[in-house]
Amino acid sequence: MTSANNNMGRRSFLKAALLAGGGMILHFHWPAAAKATGAEAGAIAEESYELNSYIKISKDGIVTLLNPNPEFGQNVKTSMPMILAEELDIAWDQVVVEQADFYPERFRRQFTGGSQSIRQGWSPLRTAGATARQMLILAAAAQWNVPSDEITTEQGVLHHQQTGKKGSYAEFASAAAKIPVPENVKLKAVKDFSIVGTSKKNVELNNILTGKPLFGMDYNTEGMLIAMIVHPPAFGLQLKSLDDRVAKSMPGIKSIFVIDSLTGAIVQNSFDTTSFTRFAVVVGNSTWEVMQAKKALKLEWAEEPGRTFKIGSPGQANAKTTDATYPAGLESSDVHRRQMEEFSKKPGKILRKDGDPEGAFKIAFRIIERTYTAPFLAHNTMEPVNCFAHVTSDSAILYGPLQAPEFTVGTLSKRLGLPKDKIRINLARMGGGFGRRAYGHHFIEAAVISKHLNAPIKLVYTREDEMTAGIYRPTYSATYRAALDKDNKLLALHIKAGGIPETPIHADRFPAGAIENYLAEGWQIPSNITIGAFRAPRSNFIAAAEQSFLDELAMEMKKDPIDFRLELLERAKTNPVGKRNDYDASRYAGVLELVREKSNWGKTAQGVHRGVSAYFCHNSYVAEVVDLVVSNNEPKVEKVVAAIDCGIVVNRDAATNMAEGAIIDGIGNALYGELPFKDGVPQKNNFTTYRLIRMNEAPQQIEVHFVENEQDPTGLGEPPFPPTFGAVANALYQATGKRFYNQPFINQLTSV
Amino acid sequence: MATINLKINGNKHRLDVDPSTPLLWVLREHLNLVGTKYGCGVAACGACVVHLDGEAVRSCVTKINRAADKEVVTIEGISEKGDHPLQQAWEQIDVPQCGYCQSGQIMSAAVLLREIPNPTDEDIDLAMSGNICRCGTYLRIRKAIHLAAEIQQGTK
Amino acid sequence: MRYNTRHKKEKRPYNIVAALAVLAIIMTFMVTIAANSRSTALRATEDEIIDDAVKRDSVKSVAAFSKVYSVLISPRCVNCHPAGDVPLQGDDSHLHTMFPQRGKDGKGILTMKCTNCHQPENTPGTHTPPGSPNWHLPPADMKMVFEGKSPRELAKQIMDPTKNGNKDMKALIAHADDELVKWGWQPGEGRTLPPLSHREFKEAWITWLKNGAYAPTN
Repeated sequence: MTSANNNMGRRSFLKAALLAGGGMILHFHWPAAAKATGAEAGAIAEESYELNSYIKISKDGIVTLLNPNPEFGQNVKTSMPMILAEELDIAWDQVVVEQADFYPERFRRQFTGGSQSIRQGWSPLRTAGATARQMLILAAAAQWNVPSDEITTEQGVLHHQQTGKKGSYAEFASAAAKIPVPENVKLKAVKDFSIVGTSKKNVELNNILTGKPLFGMDYNTEGMLIAMIVHPPAFGLQLKSLDDRVAKSMPGIKSIFVIDSLTGAIVQNSFDTTSFTRFAVVVGNSTWEVMQAKKALKLEWAEEPGRTFKIGSPGQANAKTTDATYPAGLESSDVHRRQMEEFSKKPGKILRKDGDPEGAFKIAFRIIERTYTAPFLAHNTMEPVNCFAHVTSDSAILYGPLQAPEFTVGTLSKRLGLPKDKIRINLARMGGGFGRRAYGHHFIEAAVISKHLNAPIKLVYTREDEMTAGIYRPTYSATYRAALDKDNKLLALHIKAGGIPETPIHADRFPAGAIENYLAEGWQIPSNITIGAFRAPRSNFIAAAEQSFLDELAMEMKKDPIDFRLELLERAKTNPVGKRNDYDASRYAGVLELVREKSNWGKTAQGVHRGVSAYFCHNSYVAEVVDLVVSNNEPKVEKVVAAIDCGIVVNRDAATNMAEGAIIDGIGNALYGELPFKDGVPQKNNFTTYRLIRMNEAPQQIEVHFVENEQDPTGLGEPPFPPTFGAVANALYQATGKRFYNQPFINQLTSV
Repeated sequence: MATINLKINGNKHRLDVDPSTPLLWVLREHLNLVGTKYGCGVAACGACVVHLDGEAVRSCVTKINRAADKEVVTIEGISEKGDHPLQQAWEQIDVPQCGYCQSGQIMSAAVLLREIPNPTDEDIDLAMSGNICRCGTYLRIRKAIHLAAEIQQGTK
Repeated sequence: MRYNTRHKKEKRPYNIVAALAVLAIIMTFMVTIAANSRSTALRATEDEIIDDAVKRDSVKSVAAFSKVYSVLISPRCVNCHPAGDVPLQGDDSHLHTMFPQRGKDGKGILTMKCTNCHQPENTPGTHTPPGSPNWHLPPADMKMVFEGKSPRELAKQIMDPTKNGNKDMKALIAHADDELVKWGWQPGEGRTLPPLSHREFKEAWITWLKNGAYAPTN
């Protein structure tokens, strides 16, 4: 056993004690969709005792665990409570899981993003579970009048062996809730885990499979109106005039107006990102009627002058602000390409330099230089942007898909002129996230619309509204140069990479640390096209470029691509270059070795073309081998073998599911993903033109192997995504004899 | 506005509604059957698939007047107790991630299983390539359809 | 390697429509016209196109067919007369997204019957499913492929009753006014029209047929 200091949220315990003081807590269940699932929801007793923010036990033995983080399909709603249940020592089938509302006083970091839910929730959740268990033990010890350290627990039962006394958690819940929170609690040894590390089914399965209301889009309440917005059709345009004469008399239409979601007086944070802060709003009785009226609006647009605004740090009220700029102009992809080519040739900002790279390139026998590019991408969550809001003069209630409520509540407070504690944000299950829902612009939009109308409204984006509203994965370009001597020894590596509007370089990641002479330079080009986090930001591009280049380099050096990577990692392990290397070379090598073994690397079947790739991001290591076959003259990824080191795996099958999904997402975006621009207008606005991977294009098989260790868990939603791009590119080379430098690869595959 | 007679999941409804309203929005907003999802509005993603006289129509482009006096079945009505072989299989395989597309996937798969009780992977590709799953649960959907076929035939 | 999936079509080598009229002068082959080709009862449905009998005029016929051909291979027509069993989409005639199959009756299979998405009328908006009451492909036993056919091949195929649904001249002429054929001229927002108006097409179609339905040499 290890012990943990109970500093995980003193406030949450204080709050718990207050609430528990009266013995009974009446929980506000809202909306109906967010109600408990798992065991029979109807069986939940109204009377329950709260041991802390995360754990309630009812008189009749129902243990309710609260999932603190928003759920967008990564299965936190199951895996986070599993950690609680493990340390509480309760059988999983006795547990009911509820989604917590946003409640920063009671829960830490209610942010689903950066693959951090489990990693950062691990210790607090274990401590919360163990603390509740200890409080039950102390309550039993007092009543039985025995030493607490003689009491054991097993699956919700307290037991004192010496006296033969036994009791359920339910019997002691009331007394335990009144006990002062222990300062120190013991945590289980990893080897004693009985829930963590197993596979537990998604607690929401039944609701999903029977079509119950779960998503923001499904929300409905008495008197609720539907609101839709019309934003400018191009980045760089703003609303000039609105003629609603036809639209306002259409059936079901209640109101049409123009409103600002953010004003210049409000210091934004980086999660308030939006290009369009002024838009037309149509409000009516039903979505279909509003959609029709929207089409009948006559709108004029004008070019927007460049805009500079103050931007602060999310979550910190008095943080230093910086100036952010959206330049004027209507941007196009062909211009972007030319700009990026120019910047690739100019010196960039030096981000890291080891040894004497310039000198090494001067004496090089051979220099290999390759440039890689990738386009803007739209997230395309299956559930379009939406948000319910009911704002009155003294309070606000919001419900919808949001990954990071803590970054939105401050701006809401400023915009609505309401204190934060008068703003209730309830967390809907999200129909996909991928980073898109870290940005809370739709919450602010819904709130200002509701406030303007003094009515409950649900803001709904059409698919087209969403795909053309911004917050994309940026477009990038990376140039890799390698200096080789006449014996094909790698003398130096030079990376120069940038993008619109950010550079994708993680300068201290592999292969930094493995190469004597190393130079990383970055550049960026400002843009008025808004960008944001997209599943493994920056990594999702730079991994593709780096892993394709290393593959080509290995080929040029006549080395096996896995051996070549392992040689570099050996150097980083035994004699690292530089001091800032942010990866563990042994764990990195570990996944490559595991994937080599599991894929039978080197024993490729006839007609199968293989590519390998490995990457480290979000604290985890992933290596993948892609098997590609060519049938009917078409290459198709048939099988992927992945080796993942993310430490302890909490929910094994769910983790496998997520890794499979990330790999399929990687194949899809590598082959098809692209959002081009012309004169500021996104050239795709729905799935008819924006190609997403489909069933027939998905591999037949994905094998996911986890490295078995007792390391605390690290990220998983993102890490399996970036390596897929490079593995696909490298397999395509094996199949076609051609290198694929520019995403999406379909463009090269279809060019005659 | 027109008065339209509907039969949804065996229940009769009489509605006054603009006859050009898509079936999707009538289900979701007039009848509060929200298991049928809005994903694209242009018949491209399959999240809105329901059965109209047994066919897997895309309710987002199907005007309500086309559904008049026909049998409509939605995810809420595919089984009484949530135990259709596909629902059982989906549960056993633990298919969903976010879950948003899954009712459309199940409604499509139901037509496949009716027409081909024991589909091959190829049949599944042909029948299921119209349903997008952005989370990428395709392998599990494939596996679950095979399992549902076995459940349906009583071999599992 | 080519990647066929939704592959943009190669430039058609047989796209030599303009030259056809000249070639027709040396045209020697004639296609048999089924049944009552000389029937005086044969009339076009529109008054301005009245022609009681087939006049064997190969030059005129082939010249008319070159116009007909330009329409038949335009995206609005060729997209539902594909070489394979998956219809095509868009002005670039890429393979239909989600790969719906022809099926035996030309109406799709399983979850992807044509009318699951294609309504009796066009769905408003761009890139939305176009519609017509009887939306379908030619059936599997009579595929009536336009995609990739040379003018000569296409002309012969159209006139072959074993390949054209056993249509005689009357039925062929009437086919120009088929509701689904006419959809090509009301294809909905964002779709280009065939190179001729429906009236011009119909005129050329009848001229071709009534002057002997000659097939071009190429």
